[in-house]
Amino acid sequence: MKYESQKVAYWFFATCMLLLSLQLVYGFIMAFAHAGYDVLHPWVPFNAARASHNNLLVMWLLAGFMGAAYYIIPDECERPLYWPKLAYVQLIAFVIVGVTAIIGFHFNWWEGRKFLEIPRPLDYLVVVDVLLFVVNIGMTVWKGSKMTTTSIVLFFGLLMAAVLYLPGMIPTDHQTHDAFWRWWVVHLWVEGVWELIMGGILAYLLIRLTGVDREIVEKWLYVIVGFTFLSGILGTGHHYYFIGTPNYWLWIGGIFSALEPLAFLGMAIYGLALARKGGRNHPNRIALFWTVGCCVMSFVGAGFLGMAHTLPQVNLYTHGTLVTAMHGHMAFWGAYAMLVLAIMTYALPQLTGRKLFDTPSAIYAFWSTNIGMTAMTVAFGIAGVAQVYLERRAGMEFLDVQRELQVHFIGLILAATLFTSGIIAFIYNFIRYGWPVGDVEEPVPTGLRAAVPAE
Amino acid sequence: MLSKSAARAFFLSGTLLFSAVFIWLTVDTFQRIPAQTNSDELTESVARGKQIWEENNCMGCHTLLGEGAYYAPELTRVYDRRGPAFIAQMLRDPEAVYPGQRRMVKYDFSEAQIDDMNAFFQWIGRMDLNGFPPEPTIGLAGAAPIPIPGGERPEIFSQVCTACHALGGIGGAIGPALDFVGDRFDRGYLMRWITDPQAVKPGTTMPKLGLTQEQRNEVVIFLSKQREGGL
Repeated sequence: MKYESQKVAYWFFATCMLLLSLQLVYGFIMAFAHAGYDVLHPWVPFNAARASHNNLLVMWLLAGFMGAAYYIIPDECERPLYWPKLAYVQLIAFVIVGVTAIIGFHFNWWEGRKFLEIPRPLDYLVVVDVLLFVVNIGMTVWKGSKMTTTSIVLFFGLLMAAVLYLPGMIPTDHQTHDAFWRWWVVHLWVEGVWELIMGGILAYLLIRLTGVDREIVEKWLYVIVGFTFLSGILGTGHHYYFIGTPNYWLWIGGIFSALEPLAFLGMAIYGLALARKGGRNHPNRIALFWTVGCCVMSFVGAGFLGMAHTLPQVNLYTHGTLVTAMHGHMAFWGAYAMLVLAIMTYALPQLTGRKLFDTPSAIYAFWSTNIGMTAMTVAFGIAGVAQVYLERRAGMEFLDVQRELQVHFIGLILAATLFTSGIIAFIYNFIRYGWPVGDVEEPVPTGLRAAVPAE
Repeated sequence: MLSKSAARAFFLSGTLLFSAVFIWLTVDTFQRIPAQTNSDELTESVARGKQIWEENNCMGCHTLLGEGAYYAPELTRVYDRRGPAFIAQMLRDPEAVYPGQRRMVKYDFSEAQIDDMNAFFQWIGRMDLNGFPPEPTIGLAGAAPIPIPGGERPEIFSQVCTACHALGGIGGAIGPALDFVGDRFDRGYLMRWITDPQAVKPGTTMPKLGLTQEQRNEVVIFLSKQREGGL
């Protein structure tokens, strides 16, 4: 850690841990409801649990991205945050808005649009809050003594994420328009600009952890985010197959979605190749585990499993079934959850000054979460495929099919328990690191950087 | 070998080009949506229905146009499949319609709001969705239909009764199958039964259906023809 102001990242990461824990609670509520035990229905009906589960995910990932940016940007630009105090204000406001939204869901206060359930008045507050963040980061980049590709890509990813929140607020009475704009936000986030953020954070981690030359890492960063946008922008079409939009989207969405795994495959090869090529033995091996794991699991979850049902002929039957939940869980885990956990694992020793690195509990956290999530994906996949055949192909009634699927949710709960034990181990480690009191390094003049090993 | 500036040029030009194409397709799509979705039939009642749909986060359990959660039935074609009478009864008291089954929140909608929901579902159901939802094609759905006595199923029977009961292999498995039900009960009993099940058999899970006298007559006549000798 080079600057005192980077310490704010710790509090963003602590927020992540808190929101992630809550997200898991709502996940279990839904899994039990699916398995036939909807005992909490009078207090937490399924739609409240679902909105909370999804929005907590988005909130903790965004908190993670912001924390990552507050840690990485000063480091890359070689200057402290422009407004260090504003970062704390912005975090507190973010948490207040988020918690208000989650509480509101339990009192039927929401917008009821998939993934964008936060009620409209709070939407405006989110925009203001994210703008404060973007301006703070932007000023730091602008006034910094160095402008690296990594920091520019990260900054533009965050800026575009804020801008692309706006189409979701276009008012309309038309369900098709509503769905169309909703995917501008959701798809162009997760299969577009969030991948810029992902690329930026991964590049930073790979440069630090492997010691591979920055020029090489950043060159391939451009190639990979280039492929992401080349396939991902028109790949939005796979959400426009069956919502009342023209049928040319079947062709466009089908072809460009089929290219989307290439970008993720590129990311996986990039991570693996750089990890092997790097000569440096960074002591924080577990951070490299999470970094390379993120590259690989995002390919499996977002790339491969996404491709498995974006072909229009397949999607005609799987659209709106549990097959989507199968893909969704591993995609978000691999691409974004692991990314945030990777930057946290890397940054914590610096932020707190304690070099715990790969303790047994840290290694347990890595393997049990990944094995648990893989098993959850299998359970969702089996339930989803069974649903497709019984309901969509054979025409059985919805509720009759759901009863047949209950046993798979028992399997899901078992897998989720393993996953949760890993998250508990991760949080235990987080707490063991203690408060952010890490030593701030002596600033190094820019010209001498190359001669001094990073960190 | 690829240089960093060439990689940057690839990224920038590709992103700009495909963003431009995407925006152009968006403009084109918005010009075609009205014809494909009967935008001219989007009445104020439909708009109010959409509002109710969103204010109560119906998508948090159901799917519509295949979008939403996977906890409750897909509702894109619900107006055709179940009809306005069933939808209304379900919205008035979901647990009375599906007792002991997966639960839905009881919302206390006014009758006017229920009409708006029906208008919304009717409008959604008439959209051209490029073949979604697909017709089932395998198993019983793909085989020749099992012959039943009594002629064609009345529409109200297919919409309401089939939600729980099967006849000739078509329908739900929540209530007992109705094959040859005419051999077991006479018209008077069937009429009393579907008018007020609790009065006939207190504690039964069979719900009050809220059908009109005419609809009940149609169903009772059809059911009484379900006799083994009737084929």
